[in-house]
Amino acid sequence: MHQAPRAIKFMKITIALLSIFNLSNIGSLKAEEILRIGAIPDQNPEHLNRLYKVLSSELSEQLNIQVRYKPVTNYAAAVTAFRTGNLDLVWFGALTGLQARLQTKGSKVIAQRDIDEKFHSIFIANKKSSIQKINNINDLKTLKGKRFTFGSESSTSGRLMPQYFLNKAGVQLKDFKGASPGFSGSHDATLMLVQSGSYEAGALSEEVWKRNLERGRVDPSKVFVIWKTPSYHNYHWLAQGNLDKKFKKGFTKELTKVFLRFNEKSKKQKQILELFSAKKFIISKNENYNKIEKVAREIGKIK
Amino acid sequence: MKLIKPVSTLLTLIPSIAYIPILIEIIKGFHIGGLNIIFQFISSAIKPSFNQEVVKSAWEGLQITIATALTSWVISMLIGILLGVLSTDLFWKSIPKFSYLGKLIKYSLAIPRSIHEVVWGLLFIQILGLNIWVAIISIVIPYSALTARVISEQLDSFDIQPLKAIKQTGSNFMISFITILLPKLIPIVSTYGSYRFECAIRGVTLLGIFGLGGIGTELYLTLKSFEFNEMWTCLWMLWLVMILLEKFIRFLRSYLSENISLKKSFLISISIFSLSLSLGISWLYKLNFEIFTPLSFSYLNLPSFVEIRNGFNTLPLFKLIITTILITFLASGIAIGTPPLLLVLFPGKFPLEVQNLIWIFFRLIPPPLTTILILLFTNPNISVAALSLGITHMGVMGRLLTDNILNQEKSIYRAIKNNGSSKKSATLYGILAPQSNSYLAYGAYRSDVILKETAIIGAVGGVGLGWQLQESLSSFDWAQVIIITTTFSLLTMSGEFLFNTSQNYWLKNSTNNFIS
Repeated sequence: MHQAPRAIKFMKITIALLSIFNLSNIGSLKAEEILRIGAIPDQNPEHLNRLYKVLSSELSEQLNIQVRYKPVTNYAAAVTAFRTGNLDLVWFGALTGLQARLQTKGSKVIAQRDIDEKFHSIFIANKKSSIQKINNINDLKTLKGKRFTFGSESSTSGRLMPQYFLNKAGVQLKDFKGASPGFSGSHDATLMLVQSGSYEAGALSEEVWKRNLERGRVDPSKVFVIWKTPSYHNYHWLAQGNLDKKFKKGFTKELTKVFLRFNEKSKKQKQILELFSAKKFIISKNENYNKIEKVAREIGKIK
Repeated sequence: MKLIKPVSTLLTLIPSIAYIPILIEIIKGFHIGGLNIIFQFISSAIKPSFNQEVVKSAWEGLQITIATALTSWVISMLIGILLGVLSTDLFWKSIPKFSYLGKLIKYSLAIPRSIHEVVWGLLFIQILGLNIWVAIISIVIPYSALTARVISEQLDSFDIQPLKAIKQTGSNFMISFITILLPKLIPIVSTYGSYRFECAIRGVTLLGIFGLGGIGTELYLTLKSFEFNEMWTCLWMLWLVMILLEKFIRFLRSYLSENISLKKSFLISISIFSLSLSLGISWLYKLNFEIFTPLSFSYLNLPSFVEIRNGFNTLPLFKLIITTILITFLASGIAIGTPPLLLVLFPGKFPLEVQNLIWIFFRLIPPPLTTILILLFTNPNISVAALSLGITHMGVMGRLLTDNILNQEKSIYRAIKNNGSSKKSATLYGILAPQSNSYLAYGAYRSDVILKETAIIGAVGGVGLGWQLQESLSSFDWAQVIIITTTFSLLTMSGEFLFNTSQNYWLKNSTNNFIS
């Protein structure tokens, strides 16, 4: 009976403490611009948190501004956050980067990793299926009537480019078993589902395949590579067009330079490059993605 | 003692027939290729990750989820109570001239109710961007409308003789209306409100899976990258918090239901609301959300009439609708049929307690997570989607059943058992039978919820309207998004009408009073 008032008293005290806490925080807020960075979520949260913590502190040090990482949790939300101006600089895949750039006036591609210039998808198959290694794109026809899965709907290497090459070989989505392919949601999930045999074949990013090989997560007795796609441009940093106005003249150039200067001599930068699985960042520009844009329009992911 | 019809008792078991087609499909596609991953998933349960970064990140996510749930719960309850009272016939009896307003409010609330909170979230994020208010608004819209419906239905079921009498004496209608209403309203708000809070937590967790942050996000990303140890860290934390919350809510409820004065319980309700709201908001602020920053709207190009017409031509709507309905039927069968089945198969007090704990756990696993796990040992098909949805809602149904049974009179059961019947048939007729009508009524309401939730499932299998919605959203094809959302809304409204009719039928024959 007399416990409830005590509970309420306790709550009141908690709230009072919280308010005091908040007031002390408001005092420390500075009225300066913050660079808000984000990325499409294609890794586990632990990896993303580690990576962006180091990157934020490094950028903040080099550019002498406040940097805040805002986690975004699905591809489409990342595009939207860029369009609505919630994010200044985002690590996008080719397709999501295009979607964001076409919806946001003035935004531009500034840099990419060395591996993004010549990115590949790979097609994998389960050993128990009747699928064989292929040497020629036209042999993708053998996937007709099989259980096939892509990764996320918006993934460049896990959906867009594989679908493009399939179409080139004359395979449409309705040709797979069940009249539609699966969408596993991520590269890792594609690998696991093909390895388990739920799907007979699938397509994923070569980078993720290699990482899983290194970590011993691939069971070669169950799953193997059937084909590697030709190369295409993939991930990149996309920056809003108003950064020079927001911070200072020439800021975008300076920001690009910081990325290009990253090397393995500094301990922090070495860690960043490792977490990005890259040797260095290189310059990139909007025009690199013209071909992908054409593909995306054909497939209907860009209207 | 009322004579119990065995018919409805058996009816509670009938939905589990859904297992037959589902199991056939699953066994047909069964393979052991993913067994090692399933084993990893299970064994990771006892070794969750204690990595500092993981725990910190999960704890932060959990705080976001609870604070958001708390805030949106209070706002939706307040709006819901207001709209609920405004849509009763009771209220408009005094102003007959405007009684059409009440009907208007009542029927127009069917629209916000018919769209799942996650779909609201996906739409609002387009207009408001990444903002915590998106999550709050997405929960508030459907929840207020749901609460309003329950409140108005309950209030309208009361006898209004005293009100008529008051009206004849000529005293102020408003004041007397409130005096007569309050004692009826408070018990509804306290039972239904606490149930809604738990729903809010589940809703916000789901929103996280679709990109609005919180523990749902952590769960989804850890699962997507197959980091099971990290995933269990999140799941166990969520489970613990849920159990603690439940204990706290039960304590509050039992306190409120003890015969304390009306004034006191009214004051307590008000203070719970205001405390929760200020706690929720200040907590979100503390977590670095710009909760006090004015919202900025971003302009969205609405599709033209021609684009919408083209959308109709490109979408296989008929097939999508059929698939969605099929998934709903199968999932409802699993959700409604399993708990009574287990009860009859494993009778007794101890198994009941065990079942109760299992249900809490099942309720927490968001359907998209279950889908991936089931897919590891069977081939993709509609059954997988149905089973994933069914399992979550089976947790909700099972919880309700075991809870009611733990609180019910054991006299009938003892009488039957003393007559020399077996434990199983005594359970069937002595324990399940008194519950069956209200259970079925609640089951009808659950089916309604399951239909709404098909909007968010099927992404992995590429089936149904839910998947198409994801695909259209990720292509930023607004014409298709509008068509699918409207279709969903119409489907859910007709579903609601159907389930409502059957719900009323079961409630009419129900022996114990309960609130869905």
